[in-house]
Amino acid sequence: MYVIKNGTLYTMGRQGVIQADILVENGKIKKIGKDLSHEGGEMIDASGKCVTPGFVDAHSHIGGIGPGTEEDLNEITNPLTPELDAYYGINPDDKNFEIALKQGITTSCLAPGSANVVCGWVMAYKSAGKDRVVKRPVAMKGAMGINPKGCYSKTNQAPMTRMAIANIMRTYLKNVKDYMKKKEEAAADPAKMPPFDLGLEHGIPVLEKKIPLKVHSYMHDMMTVLEIAKEFDIYITLDHAQGASDFYKELQDPHVQGVIFGPTAECLFPGEGGKLDPECCKGLDDRGVPIAVMTDGPVTVVNMLLFEMGEAVRNGMDPVRALAMVTSTAAKIIGVEDRVGSLEEGKDADILIWSDLPSCATDAVLEQVFVDGECVYKS
Amino acid sequence: MLIKNGNLHDGCGSVKKGDLRIVDGKIAQIGENLAAAEQEEVFDASGMEVLPGFVQAISLWGVNGSMQEIRPSSNDNDEKSNPITPELDGFYAFNGRAASVQQLGAYGVTSCGVAPSDNNLFGGTIAAFAVEGVNPYKMCLKRNIGMMASVTPNLKKTYGTRPAAPMTRMWIFTNFAEHLRKASEYKETPEKPSDDKLTALQKVVKGELPLFVSCDSLTAVERVREITDQYPNLKLILVNGFGLTGEEEWIAERKIPLVIRTAANPMEEDAMDLDLKAIAAFAQKGVPVALSGTYTNSLPIREDLLWNGAEMMRVVHDPEQVLSMITSTPAKILGLEDQIGVLKEGLRADIVIWSDHPMKTYQAKVVRTYQAGEVIYKEGDEKTCM
Repeated sequence: MYVIKNGTLYTMGRQGVIQADILVENGKIKKIGKDLSHEGGEMIDASGKCVTPGFVDAHSHIGGIGPGTEEDLNEITNPLTPELDAYYGINPDDKNFEIALKQGITTSCLAPGSANVVCGWVMAYKSAGKDRVVKRPVAMKGAMGINPKGCYSKTNQAPMTRMAIANIMRTYLKNVKDYMKKKEEAAADPAKMPPFDLGLEHGIPVLEKKIPLKVHSYMHDMMTVLEIAKEFDIYITLDHAQGASDFYKELQDPHVQGVIFGPTAECLFPGEGGKLDPECCKGLDDRGVPIAVMTDGPVTVVNMLLFEMGEAVRNGMDPVRALAMVTSTAAKIIGVEDRVGSLEEGKDADILIWSDLPSCATDAVLEQVFVDGECVYKS
Repeated sequence: MLIKNGNLHDGCGSVKKGDLRIVDGKIAQIGENLAAAEQEEVFDASGMEVLPGFVQAISLWGVNGSMQEIRPSSNDNDEKSNPITPELDGFYAFNGRAASVQQLGAYGVTSCGVAPSDNNLFGGTIAAFAVEGVNPYKMCLKRNIGMMASVTPNLKKTYGTRPAAPMTRMWIFTNFAEHLRKASEYKETPEKPSDDKLTALQKVVKGELPLFVSCDSLTAVERVREITDQYPNLKLILVNGFGLTGEEEWIAERKIPLVIRTAANPMEEDAMDLDLKAIAAFAQKGVPVALSGTYTNSLPIREDLLWNGAEMMRVVHDPEQVLSMITSTPAKILGLEDQIGVLKEGLRADIVIWSDHPMKTYQAKVVRTYQAGEVIYKEGDEKTCM
């Protein structure tokens, strides 16, 4: 147990921005208030520092893609792999978790890569600590556009077009629905029980609106996903979302659990890369659409989450609202807000101490990182 | 036209409040209380920061390739049919519209260097361009800036896997040394047709064409030093800075320019070994340090210089010093110091007016960007799409 004294706390919860102390005990935030102390407990002086929740990266592939891994998150052999689970593709010792900690990321939403139309389950996972799975599953991953097209066109397999992508996605959800119906009927007549199908089982929480379909989608592909979401009455998150500023009205839809924008670390390219609009972060936030940003790690630059906040701020977003995109709102969109994303009593003690506000000052240095109350990084 | 009352950052460390006059695309006058001539356009920059346009020393701007054209193809700076192509001219890799469509002025960038890729041992010469325009001949600031060389594992990845040479570092360094030796001994004779490759490399050995060498590690840097040390006139420029510790005295003593390609991408294992503290230490010792774009041929990023500046800010906390690394220093390394990179009378009016200091805060926005005195972007302009 220890107290982090006298920092400027960006709680990202009901208390807003306050000058206060944090008492940490057993990996949790025990208390937030003035003049806290604990007998025999350690004191960490945070005077003049900015204290924020540990960052939540709402879309990443670290531990499963890139150097240091064995490329275990993209099963490019079948465009429909709902039975797969990112949990089995993650190397917990990947050095990218350390790199993540150095930019303040304490929880990552780890998704299968976007080669397949339906890719498998997604989980929320900590960058350090003993019990690192925060929640599994947090979503079913899907993908539209050039990734599935590009991967399967090479071998003349479906999907070679957006027509086929929409069809594969829709057929899968319809099959899950039918499967659920058969199971329901089997309650009265066990003979009607359909044979167990793991892929369809994995879709049930999506149809039950317990987890969203998390879909890699750019530009007009987002509208296809939205159409499917309405048709099956499911929640979706629109990931990458380049071009979202063209669809403000449409995205204010109850089926949209959130938009996860980024990475900005691209130039314009023809087709789905034709618009790159970090200004959509403010635009969506102003309209009440939950908006987070992502690293897409390890695919983009180191410190991407900082730069993504920074570019949103450059495009007019308030720096504290920008901070929400990597803390409270990100946690809410991926459904882990009961554990992480804000400095509030009872939440995990995932805490960052900064020299300055990282969504504003380019030279803000991350001085200390705590995960589950343990100091895991010091500058 | 006249820019009034701005905080003028010259790109070399000096900041003062003042006025700046643009005439015929050049900075004609810098001073205090300059009076507007009759019918002269005046821009009130009170409370704003006036900076030189950013110069990206080595970039992929304007370079077309498979992501831009309908036929599967190599990037136009990436002639990976032969690892030794010093006779090629990087100028031809540049397409004006391909650069313009990226609207780099909105990100504070007004000029960029275009170099052959890291996939060839000697790739060809480097050229530099303005970012907005159509005709490369009109946009070009300078050709034959230097020779681009690479001793990185990209050669092995490109050729070794075919399989073809180079498959090993032995081949890479042996051929690096041998080609420079042959070039140093090369004499054109009437009996034989001239050798384009050796002719091009002879300029390098003689010091007429600086040699930009992309290295992936400290060992590679040391091997390059051993080999190039034999040619006293050769002008060496080190690209990337991977593996440097700050202790390499010879770099500090000889003031070997460094072009740092940061924004390290974890997908590039080589790019992870960059110690910005070491790079900052060299800068303190007077070594010219330019921050540039991303390593290798991944998609270029329009915010590269802003972000690389922020990375350096976390180390040195000195916005004017970091600004010099993306303005005056890259201009000097590219041999463009008589044209761009500094707010100085007589230079091109490549000027960006910011709402705040972009090296200090993400809240800094581009208010307007001038390329040779012409406004190429102003706040509120529609962002381009494809």
